[in-house]
Amino acid sequence: MNASYYRTARALHQHPAALWDLEYLYEPLPIPEDHPELDLFGFQRASHPHNAPTAVLSTREPHLTKSAANDSLPARQLNEYIYCPRLFYYEHVEGIFLDNADTERGSAIHQKIDRGRGALPKAQNPDAAPNPTPSADNTPTPPESAAPPETETIHSRSAMMSSERLGVVAKMDLIEVQMALIPQSTHNWQPQSTANLTKKTTKKALPNTDQPDLFAAPPTDSTSPDITDTAVPQPQLLHVKLHQHKVQQVTPVDYKVGSPRIGPEANELWDADKMQLGLQILVLRDNGYHCNEGVIYYRATKQRVKLQMTPEVETWIIQNIAEARRTAASPTMPPPLINSPKCVRCSLAPVCLPDETRLLATNARLPENPPSPTRIPLPPRRLIAARDDERALYLNTQGCRVGIKSERLTIKDGDTTLDEIRLSDVTHVSLFGNIQLTTQAIQELCEQEIPIAYFSMGGWFYGLKNVHTRIRQFAIASNPVQCLALARKIVQAKIRNHRTMLMRLHIDPPSTAIRGMKEIAGRVPDARGLDELLGMEGAAAALYFQNLSGMIKIGQNDPDDDIPGLDISTALQKKLRTEKETFTFDFNQRRRRPPTDPVNALLSLAYSLLAKDCTIASLAVGFDPYIGFYHQPRHGRPALALDLMEEFRPLIAESAVLTAINNRMITPGHFVRAGDAVNLTPIGRKAFFQAYEQRMNTLITHPIFDYKVSYRRVLELQARLLARWLTGEIPDYIPMVTR
Amino acid sequence: MSARNNSPSSRHTYLVCYDISNDRRLRKVFKICKDHGTHLQFSVFECDLNPRELVQLQRTLKEVIKHDEDQVLFVSLGPSEGRGDRVISALGLPYSRFDAPCYVV
Repeated sequence: MNASYYRTARALHQHPAALWDLEYLYEPLPIPEDHPELDLFGFQRASHPHNAPTAVLSTREPHLTKSAANDSLPARQLNEYIYCPRLFYYEHVEGIFLDNADTERGSAIHQKIDRGRGALPKAQNPDAAPNPTPSADNTPTPPESAAPPETETIHSRSAMMSSERLGVVAKMDLIEVQMALIPQSTHNWQPQSTANLTKKTTKKALPNTDQPDLFAAPPTDSTSPDITDTAVPQPQLLHVKLHQHKVQQVTPVDYKVGSPRIGPEANELWDADKMQLGLQILVLRDNGYHCNEGVIYYRATKQRVKLQMTPEVETWIIQNIAEARRTAASPTMPPPLINSPKCVRCSLAPVCLPDETRLLATNARLPENPPSPTRIPLPPRRLIAARDDERALYLNTQGCRVGIKSERLTIKDGDTTLDEIRLSDVTHVSLFGNIQLTTQAIQELCEQEIPIAYFSMGGWFYGLKNVHTRIRQFAIASNPVQCLALARKIVQAKIRNHRTMLMRLHIDPPSTAIRGMKEIAGRVPDARGLDELLGMEGAAAALYFQNLSGMIKIGQNDPDDDIPGLDISTALQKKLRTEKETFTFDFNQRRRRPPTDPVNALLSLAYSLLAKDCTIASLAVGFDPYIGFYHQPRHGRPALALDLMEEFRPLIAESAVLTAINNRMITPGHFVRAGDAVNLTPIGRKAFFQAYEQRMNTLITHPIFDYKVSYRRVLELQARLLARWLTGEIPDYIPMVTR
Repeated sequence: MSARNNSPSSRHTYLVCYDISNDRRLRKVFKICKDHGTHLQFSVFECDLNPRELVQLQRTLKEVIKHDEDQVLFVSLGPSEGRGDRVISALGLPYSRFDAPCYVV
């Protein structure tokens, strides 16, 4: 037991023994420039298999920026280009990546595979080949011995290689390397050191038995009588010492979660997989290996499907690389696929909106034209979930502290835990007043892209990404003609929605006001400037608010009934009753800053909640919420969110207020007065948050797309449609107008 | 169209029950489940998961449990939306499901 006994393989590498050629085992692969973190040298890990890091390799390819269009393209992204050019554009150029169950399964598989260290024998042993001139399609020199050499297959996992000719980086899940074994006797073999070597390497080799990477193949034979006397099962590493190895042929094997395409004669590769595997073959060839075919292992059916490299396949691949580069360099996104079954399982469908974009791009129709089944042969499929699974988190308890524990937000008041909420259940966090959020919690929320909104404090934060949308946004925001065009549509939609609301909810719909609003809405498209438009909007709003009280169906004289669903103590109930005298739900006109009566207080809160949700929607799509088209920029005003919000004021905010009042979710006892201002009590606020979120989660049938979605989804859809209009994919922005 | 897109919400409710033979692993499994669902009883969680979250949970658990000694069962109770309290009823201590449209603290 001396120190040399424990010498690691790495130590051997640092002092290479002159007796045998281990060099090819330790040949480090080039570390790609965009993956500086990858230690492809890998040998340290192999020598300490128990310390092997589990997540050394990132499971995702890096997002390349657009300026990197001329850099190497990862083979996986070229696979995506064949699958759908638009998907490629989203992921490669815009850096948007969403996970769904399929991608999650894929990365689970690759997590295992990627533990490989990527070591691969050198293409040619310079000692054995007298003229080492490897060209792209060079076949290795045939073995010198006349007898056919014995062969052995070794496996290398997770090897990363690049080809400058193609400009492609490929990460190969598995490479099967066929090695030719040339008995060592033909070379300089010095038997006197054998005993020493055997002992040492036997011990060293033991850890390798549970590290199947490089030497997974069982020992083929006992070609070397020198070592048959070892007691342990013959360690595979010994072959390294006793044979001259030469790489004969390599075969890349790629793992896929799905199943192969069923062709007319046999199972086939999907085109996208053919691209990726073909690239791997070409990259291996460009690195001097002899490689004619590759294999894809389809995990769903547990089948191997082969690809033979032919000149036709190579031309097809090279053409597609060139096309992908052109696409990546272009500022416009490729159009979505048409009614493709691929979209149904695509994780990016909610961002890409293939069917909606197609419908509006080819068949722009306004909501007033009734949908006719003959004009739209293919109604859009709803490729998004109808509503979010997650809920909003409102923090309203003054002085509480929000921390994070594992994947849960812990909300504490002093030492008592008020609540624990799982991050996976939260869409966004709104803080009202003095609430502390720990740095750790903020970081985790940012990491998971959960927006945080501060109320009565100012300030938002969130990462902004989509560059092209914002460039178009700025360009159009500075063009008054286009601003006016959009503003007209927004104002018209708002007036129409207000009118519909009056007709639906008013006890006795006022015909003059309704006629007046229709007349104003009709004049909106002729507005010559933003000022004139503001005037029209104001006139219509005045008509509307004059009649708002007719939609409140709770009078002063209503019997004193208890409040269902509100769990409050009797003392509080008593207090509410005494205060009830002071407040009524009478409404005369809109007053803000400060609101002077309960209805105005509720409207103000509802509008600021809606502005928050519109800001979140515009951020999620990649807009700058502070630059608007109708609302002009001012410090601290989310102008774009206010633009988006106009048509939703009646649909979400006012409707939530009326529902809360009419269903007695909010009662006069829920208000307090401070000077002129009327405000909600904490309990009243809590009740109104529930009413508002209920409205946001209501499923409605979308007037254009005819499928059911929640209002929260509609907000996001409208923001995405606005982005589509900005980038010119659809000819008109179509506001949301209820039927 | 796939069933996923027809359902109003993509989350399904799962009863996740486990039998773990080692205390150390048990605590790990408990902690993982706590990040994904509500603790109903000893070794029983109620988790609302969409397909992706289900894969995530299974993947995390797979790495912790010992496959020849422990067991984790996933019982699917169908779509979470609209299911309400109909599938689970309780004797003794009450069972209630969180059903508000948002969290307010």
